[in-house]
Amino acid sequence: MFKDITLGQYFPGNSVIHRLDPRTKLAAMIIYIAMVFSVKTMALYAAVAVFLVALLLISRIPVSYVFKAVKPMRWLLVFMFIINMFLIKSGRVIFSWKFITLTVDGIEQAFFIVIRLVLLVCGTSLLTLTTTPISLTDGLERIMSPLAKIKFPAHELAMMMMIALRFIPTLLEEAERIMKAQAARGADFESGNIFKRAKNMIPILIPLFISAFRRADELAMAMESRCYTGGEGRTRMKVLKLAPRDLIAFLIAAAMLAGIILAERLVFA
Amino acid sequence: MICIDNISFKYDEAGAYALKNVSFEINSGEMIAIVGHNGSGKSTLAKHLNGLLLPTEGDVRVDGDSTRDENALNSIRRRVGMVFQNPDNQIVTTVVEEDVGFGPENIGVPTDEILERVDEALKAVRMTEYAKSAPHMLSGGQKQRVAIAGILALRPKTLVLDEATAMLDPIGRREVLETVSEQNKRRGITVVMITQYMEEALLCDRVAVMSGGELKMLDTPRNVFKRVDELRALGLDAPIAVSMRDRLIKEGFPISDSIIGIDELAEALCPLLSKN
Repeated sequence: MFKDITLGQYFPGNSVIHRLDPRTKLAAMIIYIAMVFSVKTMALYAAVAVFLVALLLISRIPVSYVFKAVKPMRWLLVFMFIINMFLIKSGRVIFSWKFITLTVDGIEQAFFIVIRLVLLVCGTSLLTLTTTPISLTDGLERIMSPLAKIKFPAHELAMMMMIALRFIPTLLEEAERIMKAQAARGADFESGNIFKRAKNMIPILIPLFISAFRRADELAMAMESRCYTGGEGRTRMKVLKLAPRDLIAFLIAAAMLAGIILAERLVFA
Repeated sequence: MICIDNISFKYDEAGAYALKNVSFEINSGEMIAIVGHNGSGKSTLAKHLNGLLLPTEGDVRVDGDSTRDENALNSIRRRVGMVFQNPDNQIVTTVVEEDVGFGPENIGVPTDEILERVDEALKAVRMTEYAKSAPHMLSGGQKQRVAIAGILALRPKTLVLDEATAMLDPIGRREVLETVSEQNKRRGITVVMITQYMEEALLCDRVAVMSGGELKMLDTPRNVFKRVDELRALGLDAPIAVSMRDRLIKEGFPISDSIIGIDELAEALCPLLSKN
């Protein structure tokens, strides 16, 4: 159940995308998000999807691997689809019964919302899949470093994020182990209504939390033993340097966004 | 050299002593085991060696610097590296080489030298081919070797293993022990091994036996395992060769009571067998 979650995991590789500066990738991700949100027509969604698949191919990450990130979200997607389908009441009515009306617009919008979410999740997981947490947090820290002058805890935030990413697989593994242990004692996570199931999760969450605190304590000790004293005076194993390819990547992303917005305004208006 | 000077420690003021009047010295270049059953104070003692805990009374001095001296603390931790029990809870990042580089980054080593140190440390624990791997994909023994590399990259004089083999399978345990003894023999790194396994104590030059927060014995493994009855009274077991030796002696076999290893025992028994 948990093993399929690929969100926030690094996929080792040596493609151009892997080698891009994390700051470039962060900027490109923001551009990509803007792109996904500015699209309103099917043809352009297809264009964004093609762009995404092209990036995946360049990064040599198996497409199936990225779609795994979507799998845990499938119920959310279904839920979003149904809600949106019935919320929008404009356009030609296909079907109407009591207070429920189904329109062409509604179905179209619901469909777009789902595509949008899938594109967002896939695109953003491309960032974490191709960037090691250290360089990702390094990039974030560097981007936020001007804020450190006004006492903004840039290094601390970056460190917290890195540790969170590092412990995702560990905690998932542990959750699975606890679930199996509880199931072996007769706990039932599969049947009952949603409230009952949520209640049944409590015996998993409590031990998970307790162990997370214990882990945090031990990690803090291990970090202290390795001379960690905060951000001051630290050096870097990998120094971030912008290369020509970063400029090119940034320009491609920016051109893509401009193209999409223009196409949306002019061609499909 | 680490000098443990009559230290006592309480976790909270009203509570009982976790350590009581412990005094001994850890010499440079030696390999010393600190053994004891659960709650004997051995892990508490380990955490005093690099100032993670400060003694309630007494002093711990590393090459003359007291762990109470806050200005010296960082330099003490650089000299006394510590590896803990659970390998998952001491790896900070998601790529092996970046984790090994974490320590040198903390003490402000320049970038080129960090890369050098990381290569060297990974080579020392024979994990070079896993430099780019994700730690959660490794076996327990491999993870623990990465943790050791993370400490070696700080170039410490002393390596403290706080039950670092307790969570490992026999293969992982052997990997870690081989790595550590090699560091001790080849590079002269002082090794302090906190352990429940008496077999591990056999690898060391000296064994310190703890019980109820007190130091009960401190001697060579050979002398300590002559006092098996005392060890049993403290809730500790003897290594298998020692138990067997004692039973054979009881049965009247003429073998020495200073045997501690399996090989030695085999050597002593072979002539007896061929006589019959």
